Amino acid sequence: MSKQRRRLLLASAATLALLAPLAWFWWSSLLPGSYSVMDMGYTDYGGGPVPAGTATDDDASSHGSAHGTSHMPGHGSTSVADLRTTARGPADVSVDLVADQGTVTLPSGREIDGYTLNGSSPGPRIDAREGDLVEVTLRNGSVPEGITLHWHGIDVPNAEDGVAGVTQDAVREGEEYTYRFVADQVGTYWYHSHQVSHEQVRGGLFAPLVVLPTGGIPQDREVLAVTHTYQGIRTLNGEEDAVRFPAPAGETVRVRLVNTDNALVPVWADLPYRVVAVDGYDLNEPGPVTGQAVVLTAGGRIDLEIEVPDHAAARVQVGGATAAVVGPEDAEEPAAPPQPDENLDLLTYGEPAPLPTLGGQTNLTFDPTTAERHFKYEIGRRPGFLDGRPGLWWTVNGHLFPDIPMYTVEEGDVAVFRIENNSGESHPMHLHGHHAVVISRDGVPATGSPWWIDSLEVDHGEEFEIAFLADNPGIWMDHCHNLPHAVEGLVAHLMYAGVDTPFRIGDDAANHPE
Amino acid sequence: MRSAYRILSYVLAAEIVIQAAAMVYAVAGLGKWVDGGGVLDKAAFESDDLSFTGVGGFIVHGINGMMIIPLLALILLIVSFFTKLPKAVVTAVGLLVLVVLQVVLGIVGHEIPASGALHGINALLIFAGALHAARLASTPKVVVEKETAAA
Repeated sequence: MSKQRRRLLLASAATLALLAPLAWFWWSSLLPGSYSVMDMGYTDYGGGPVPAGTATDDDASSHGSAHGTSHMPGHGSTSVADLRTTARGPADVSVDLVADQGTVTLPSGREIDGYTLNGSSPGPRIDAREGDLVEVTLRNGSVPEGITLHWHGIDVPNAEDGVAGVTQDAVREGEEYTYRFVADQVGTYWYHSHQVSHEQVRGGLFAPLVVLPTGGIPQDREVLAVTHTYQGIRTLNGEEDAVRFPAPAGETVRVRLVNTDNALVPVWADLPYRVVAVDGYDLNEPGPVTGQAVVLTAGGRIDLEIEVPDHAAARVQVGGATAAVVGPEDAEEPAAPPQPDENLDLLTYGEPAPLPTLGGQTNLTFDPTTAERHFKYEIGRRPGFLDGRPGLWWTVNGHLFPDIPMYTVEEGDVAVFRIENNSGESHPMHLHGHHAVVISRDGVPATGSPWWIDSLEVDHGEEFEIAFLADNPGIWMDHCHNLPHAVEGLVAHLMYAGVDTPFRIGDDAANHPE
Repeated sequence: MRSAYRILSYVLAAEIVIQAAAMVYAVAGLGKWVDGGGVLDKAAFESDDLSFTGVGGFIVHGINGMMIIPLLALILLIVSFFTKLPKAVVTAVGLLVLVVLQVVLGIVGHEIPASGALHGINALLIFAGALHAARLASTPKVVVEKETAAA
């Protein structure tokens, strides 16, 4: 062999050595045309007992069975489609919604391309009283890619959760789906599409939902402000800049704030305020806050209490761009107060209370110290291929989607999640179907009011421990509510042993929950 | 292959120039936008809908830096296997390492701003390295003749 040929051979071999692994990584990342979440990743029992009747299958618990080659163990007996609301009889609150895609005229008068519910965005606010049976019939008027509705923060039965490809098929044009649930959680919530959600929510397919306590709220009145960014335009309830809310001097006002954006929003005011609720759940003995902002997590809600001053309006700044101005209609609009340097720490805010006494809700009566399952949800970031696309993707416990844990519990378990973020960016983590209580951050125990969350902002370098009672069987998304991050692989699921889903995700199934 | 190596090296150097220009264009545009009352916070940043003169600079910088430049460095390395230039492979390996380091520094810079300063310095190293590589492939033909004679 001539020197020249040997050289060419060597060069070709080196090229192959460089490209072959890349080609392999690319090929092995491709997702099938449709897949079941049951086939994703590997089972994680959190160190707890393996549920009875589960065949322990080495293949399924290894780290590489993500492509539909093996079914998860412990499935089969209950379909998510059967996990519906059992309450019968006529609904107390009945709402018909029609979703459309097209030009949207916002309350501010501005026109954007997006989505509407009953012709408007934000869609109609739903009001219920504690214990009401709510029935919402959703019809897809003209959204080609299909729609669903997810009741963000309301721990509905699994089949009512509205996740396309997991708990139902997306509702196609001309089709209907009826959601029913008992509104037994008092507080501020919202609902939004969970089909192609990173586009549909951004485009306006969402609305607020409030559950009032039977005895009414302790404040004199309430106002509600939904913050959303439409095509770069910052809005409150679809209006821009400072939005007026009439209230007489001296009244206490409950300001319900909903963050429908993909990023946290700091909130501060030009007068002392109390944070009376987080993610719908009341805090215990919240004190007055001055000189601090409170962070409103993406997807999260916060209720503030303020007292309207004499002869003036109060200004609650929702991020730098919008504000709720609460006060007499003839009061002058106050100037924007400067953003405080410091944020309120909910870990130490308010007074501790024994968990069972809070709210009187059954799903809060458990002791986190008895947790039998301890899950790790470590968020990282690395280059690789996601369904064939090269890029820099999020990882869960070091693995790229879909090779991520399937957190598995049994009904009645107390479980602890340790959420660690080493990914370089903050993530608003949202667990469907459950409320969790924050136990600690960076190893420091929570010493304030019980802090219940469904959406928790986890900053880079932070480590939270949260606990919840597994009392709502089904298959539940546990994902980042910065919705493009979910598209980039930051989606895991919490699964109850013995539950299976007939629905599938992917192009062939036309279900894209992210 | 020799001219492919030279052209790729020049393209890589030009890409670094584009990266620097795009970033300053974007930051200048952002400054002007904020000066005119625009509000930049995390929600605005994550909305994917920011529109001001210069916003394209951020997009160009991201696509170039995360996709096109690493791809160029990889192709340069492959091409280097087929050139007979001395030090072509070593130089291409060095450039690829610097490019990977550059991506890492850029991303870490989101959390540790000092890393962004190193990102700026490393850009100059890549630029110089790319020019060096281009000149390797355009040195007088004597080298080739010598090699041919030796073979």
